[in-house]
Amino acid sequence: MRALDAGILVCGECHRLEYLCEGEVQHCSRCGSRLHMRRPNSIARTWALLITAAVLYIPANLLPIMTINFFGNGAPATIMGGVLELIHADMLPIAFVVFVASILVPTFKLVGIALLLYSVQRHQPMSARQRILMYRFIEWIGRWSMLDIFVIAILVALVNFGNIASIQAAPGAIAFCCVVVLTMLAAVMFDPRLIWDNTDAENEEDGRAELQSNKAQD
Amino acid sequence: MIQESGQPVDTRQALPPLKDLIACHECDLLMHHPHVGEEQKASCPRCGYELVVHRAQMHRRALALVLTALLLFIPANFLPIMSLNLLGQNAVDTVWSGVVGLYHSNMGIVAVVVFLCSMLIPLVKLLCQLLVLLSLPFPRWRPMGTQLYRAYHHLREWGMLEVYLFGILVSIVKLIDLADLHLGIGMACFIALMLAQVWLEVTMSPHQVWDALSEEEDNHART
Repeated sequence: MRALDAGILVCGECHRLEYLCEGEVQHCSRCGSRLHMRRPNSIARTWALLITAAVLYIPANLLPIMTINFFGNGAPATIMGGVLELIHADMLPIAFVVFVASILVPTFKLVGIALLLYSVQRHQPMSARQRILMYRFIEWIGRWSMLDIFVIAILVALVNFGNIASIQAAPGAIAFCCVVVLTMLAAVMFDPRLIWDNTDAENEEDGRAELQSNKAQD
Repeated sequence: MIQESGQPVDTRQALPPLKDLIACHECDLLMHHPHVGEEQKASCPRCGYELVVHRAQMHRRALALVLTALLLFIPANFLPIMSLNLLGQNAVDTVWSGVVGLYHSNMGIVAVVVFLCSMLIPLVKLLCQLLVLLSLPFPRWRPMGTQLYRAYHHLREWGMLEVYLFGILVSIVKLIDLADLHLGIGMACFIALMLAQVWLEVTMSPHQVWDALSEEEDNHART
């Protein structure tokens, strides 16, 4: 049975249990944080962050993220360009890591969070276990997309020889940085308990609960 | 380490008192509080989320690790991680010079994000952990410890030392054929800092800290 069905709230910060008092604003008796049945407006806020990230995803991939100036020849490099360059230099394992961290992961996160939101809203028959695994994976992997930003920071500091050779960061880096931060925030906003609130297995197990995710959300 | 799983509450029976219950933070399943022994952990039977871990000597070990990490912080961020030699010219990279370099490329926002994720947030996290550990033996300080531990949980995933380390590796691979590359002492300090921080995160198990912070009401910490 869910804690909520027993009239118990879980503190979002310190996980202490408190009895629910209907119609009152409650605070945790241990850490003082405001108690909610589920994170407030979780679905709407996650959608908002996700859509903003999706819009910025376009310039992040199309604009150059850095300009490489080598003996007077300036060449802008996009994210994909950097990966291709590593492939041409026969550094396949590193090319693969950069490809996964900066192209595959952000794409997967955008699609994955959208799927989670859609399945929670539409009661899609995707198993809760699959969805929670996907959620944990998205939450865990989010920070690794910052890899490319850190590489730019290191290269900018290190390759700094005036006219001989220099690397400068370019506008695509700002968009990419925003995509990473926004998708991480979206994962934080999403309440994983919504995944379990509308599963059919739960209904069979627990005959008395009428589990409507929209009711549980507020 | 012995793994147990929590016992879900039976709907047909009366509920035990709240202090004997625990709810899964990720799926809201209500369970009897599993009383685990030292170096044991319990997880949610439905979604597999780790409910409680009990680490032996948590306070002493965590304190030692947090002090180690804080001592390493300045050398890791301000000593040269690597230097590059090109046609007689030398350039040195530290974590801080990366931030400054980005700022001078007119990338203020990106410089701020890199500064936060690789320097400021890891430092604030360590200071929060230190103060929480120091406040545990003194009931009067515990309210401050509670607020700092809350802040720590919000900052947790925004400190990205391990990602930065991987960034250093990728940069080394990219530059190694281009010019003369030397690794500096800052690199060793950075790796040590990252290891100390990861170890600290494993040692300082949240439920033990929360229980210790609320000990004055319960008189004894739950295991």
